[in-house]
Amino acid sequence: MNSFDRDPVLTDLAALPMDAPDGLLDRIATRWSRVGAPIGELAVAFTRRGIAFVRPDDADFAPAFRQRFARPLLPAPAVPDGLAEALSTGDGTDLDVDLDAAGEFQRSVLEATRSIPVGQVRPYAWVAAEIGRPKAVRAVGTALATNPVPLVIPCHRVVRTDGSLGQYIFGPDTKRELLKREHADV
Amino acid sequence: MAARQRHESGRVDDVSNDPVAEALAKDVDAGFADLYGAYQRLVFSVTLRLSGRRADAEDLTAEAFLRAFRALLGYDTDRVRALRTRAWLMTIVMNVWRNHQRTMARKPPPGDIDAAPEPVDGAESVEAAAERHDTAGRLAGLLARLPDPQREAIVLRHVVDLPVGDIASILGMAEGTVRSHISRGLSRLRTDAVTQGGLS
Repeated sequence: MNSFDRDPVLTDLAALPMDAPDGLLDRIATRWSRVGAPIGELAVAFTRRGIAFVRPDDADFAPAFRQRFARPLLPAPAVPDGLAEALSTGDGTDLDVDLDAAGEFQRSVLEATRSIPVGQVRPYAWVAAEIGRPKAVRAVGTALATNPVPLVIPCHRVVRTDGSLGQYIFGPDTKRELLKREHADV
Repeated sequence: MAARQRHESGRVDDVSNDPVAEALAKDVDAGFADLYGAYQRLVFSVTLRLSGRRADAEDLTAEAFLRAFRALLGYDTDRVRALRTRAWLMTIVMNVWRNHQRTMARKPPPGDIDAAPEPVDGAESVEAAAERHDTAGRLAGLLARLPDPQREAIVLRHVVDLPVGDIASILGMAEGTVRSHISRGLSRLRTDAVTQGGLS
């Protein structure tokens, strides 16, 4: 380039680019990793806000995540702090969860469910009453059947009024096994 | 890898040689990390110089990449493989930018983005960084006062160095129009730079 070509305005414009700040990728993408739980190996997706999706670690995990969240899913260097311990004790109340993708109704169902202590169960009707929608028992069942973060939010502690266990994302046998582990009276 | 590929229909298209498109076609999640790595600087620089605000540039960058990912979920593999990812992504960026402008229409115009100090490059002296910061701040201020079409064309051509042909397709205008926006914008920047006491 000869001196005639050197235009200070062009030189200065060309010096303006800069990298996006560190961490911006994690506002766009969700991270995932594997974690061991008493009921087997799980896949866990989480954002900067908290745990967003928990499912068995199998080939359905990524497609199910994509279908539900429509966000990029990238491997994480580590699992969220305290998750492995919470899965082992059954007490996930201190974990951060990201329920942004859930609707308002499901979010309130999940928040009420979260308050059920380890080793105790509540009927679906209790959850419905707790969120001020006593007639919405069936809708509570549906909201729990699609709980994005089972185990972290203990939907296995919600059972039928007649004492039978009802459905569970990981299957009814797993629900029974989990409640047995917690010494719940069922 | 062949740069051009004949379709069954006999149509000839530019196909790939775009490693990011290949990665996306293979695995949309892993490919997204490549897309972000390849273009985060481009997208952030453009949105920063168009919006004039760092926080807006972060929001616009995040939104553009997320939209790009969601668009990819609706494409079949052949379409993904045939993408010219840079121009495609920049078209999305400009759409996001226009939507943002519409929602900001009643709010004040862009101000001085370089009010907050830039992180200092380790290899650069504090004095050089201060001088660079000052120049960048003044120039960004002058850019912010250009009419939108001139600012957009200049940012795409001279800040992030895209070819005029790509800019024409990204902005949806003829190459001649792009050149004329660039040339008018540059003369105004030069005049303003002189009246404001020079840049470099």
